[in-house]
Amino acid sequence: MRALIVDDSRVMRRIVGKLLEEVGYDVVEAGDGAEAVAVLEGSAELPVLACVDWNMPVMDGLTFVGEVRRRPEWRSVTLMMVTTESEQEQIVRALAAGAHEYLIKPFTGEALLEKLDLLGLLPARTGSGA
Amino acid sequence: MTTVVAPDEGLVRAAVDLVWSTMLFATVEPWPSGLDAALADGVRATIELQGDWNGRLALTCPAGLAGEIAGAMIGTAAADLSAEDVHDALGEVVNVVGGTVKGALGGELALGLPDVRPCAADEATDEATDGGFVLGWNGAPIHVQVLAGRP
Amino acid sequence: MSISTTSFTFVRELVRAESAIVLEPGKEYLVEARLVPLARRGGHAGVDAYVADLAARRNPADLKLVVEALTTNETSWFRDGDPFTALRESVFPALARNRPSRTIRVWAAACSSGQEPYSILMTAQDTPELAGWKIDMLATDLSQEMLDRARAGQYSQLEVNRGLPATTLVRHFRRDGLNWKIDPALAAQVQFRQLNLVRPFPPMGRFDVVFLRNVLIYFDLATKRDILHRVRQVMAPDGHLFLGAAEMTMGVDDAWERVPAGRSSVYRIREEQRTCVP
Repeated sequence: MRALIVDDSRVMRRIVGKLLEEVGYDVVEAGDGAEAVAVLEGSAELPVLACVDWNMPVMDGLTFVGEVRRRPEWRSVTLMMVTTESEQEQIVRALAAGAHEYLIKPFTGEALLEKLDLLGLLPARTGSGA
Repeated sequence: MTTVVAPDEGLVRAAVDLVWSTMLFATVEPWPSGLDAALADGVRATIELQGDWNGRLALTCPAGLAGEIAGAMIGTAAADLSAEDVHDALGEVVNVVGGTVKGALGGELALGLPDVRPCAADEATDEATDGGFVLGWNGAPIHVQVLAGRP
Repeated sequence: MSISTTSFTFVRELVRAESAIVLEPGKEYLVEARLVPLARRGGHAGVDAYVADLAARRNPADLKLVVEALTTNETSWFRDGDPFTALRESVFPALARNRPSRTIRVWAAACSSGQEPYSILMTAQDTPELAGWKIDMLATDLSQEMLDRARAGQYSQLEVNRGLPATTLVRHFRRDGLNWKIDPALAAQVQFRQLNLVRPFPPMGRFDVVFLRNVLIYFDLATKRDILHRVRQVMAPDGHLFLGAAEMTMGVDDAWERVPAGRSSVYRIREEQRTCVP
């Protein structure tokens, strides 16, 4: 399974990427919404999950979510905002724009995995070798 | 109608505590008042809030400590990180502190993008005039400032 | 890098020996997530290095920290997921067919800081068969401090990040400074009361649903048996009991039978025992 991480912070991409890889995802990254659109357009295999930051240069995460929802061919992508925007109104806006879940920064690794579980996107882990 | 006032020390401190405990698995302490908190080679990360309150939050710390912050976030030795990684990590710290403060203030506020740059020795030492304070982690100071107004 | 089978096995055996809680395969992520902070604080390169060090030195204080990290009375919303799906998809609809009073009585018997009773109420609101019904919810705990927290219904940012769907968060909570406060109308539906499970229960009527999850594990066999026997006495004959995933009635109080409910299971009083309950 593939996951797309959209965040302008490379350190955040690395942290989220590590957590996702540990549960079995192949991770692709983008530094802003426009780059993420390009990644999706160039994908032979669409990611099942996109973790999307809100505040980014060029194209922000909310715009990106709207863009994904506008394209029927990308309907299978589950969108989770991962952002420090934490007002109730902002969460409502993101859900209205088409985000499926919302994880507020700062978060623990366990909270991220619990959100994946809610979305039915936590792959069963197999023995990982000694 | 929400009245938004400038973020106070308690709120900013709580946001910093939250970020440290969650993202770095560590605890910040107030900097002991008798100790010299001056910075020689500092890194300064700022983030802007605009709307019902206009201003910036700034975190400034020695470059070495910035590396340790990045290392703790990623879970790797500071020596293995590039300067870009370190600046990026400090930017994310101030971004999440800013977002947490913004969320708690309520009202109409927009968060800018973090700005991180090396800073001169005297830039971070005017807490008295800016309602700032100094925290300590791993034996080094972190200057926290709440700067009202546009830069 | 993920946790190795060797590390997972060591931790699983340690936790099983110390707490009787069984960490099933698939819980590697949980072990890892809980141990990363301990590993970092100890200056280890990763969880495997930390566990290898633990295994080599067997320092009782360090081992205790590990057991605590994995057995702490955790406070996720909709904890474990499956029991709440079972409530919504099978238990509540079944009760809806058999309660002309249009009232369901629920007891959360170890409610801690309140996530469980509130999760049950939110689940009831999401059950179409219960539209317009009254949920009579009693939430008890041994700790007055926990009850006060639960009653206040105020949760930190980190707590609302834990297992709570975003749609549920915006529907049932309001931002309150750094925290989130549960809808007062929801909080008002819960009656909070201090109760020690080991002592005789006060008069409290009969319940259609009892949540008694992850608390029996702390008691010895005789006490478990006694509690389960007394729970039968406050249970409607066709009621449903939820236990933790690592708990069971078999060999403890065999008047209960385990019945599958979705991906989870519930315990019900055996048909032939129902009339015998005083």
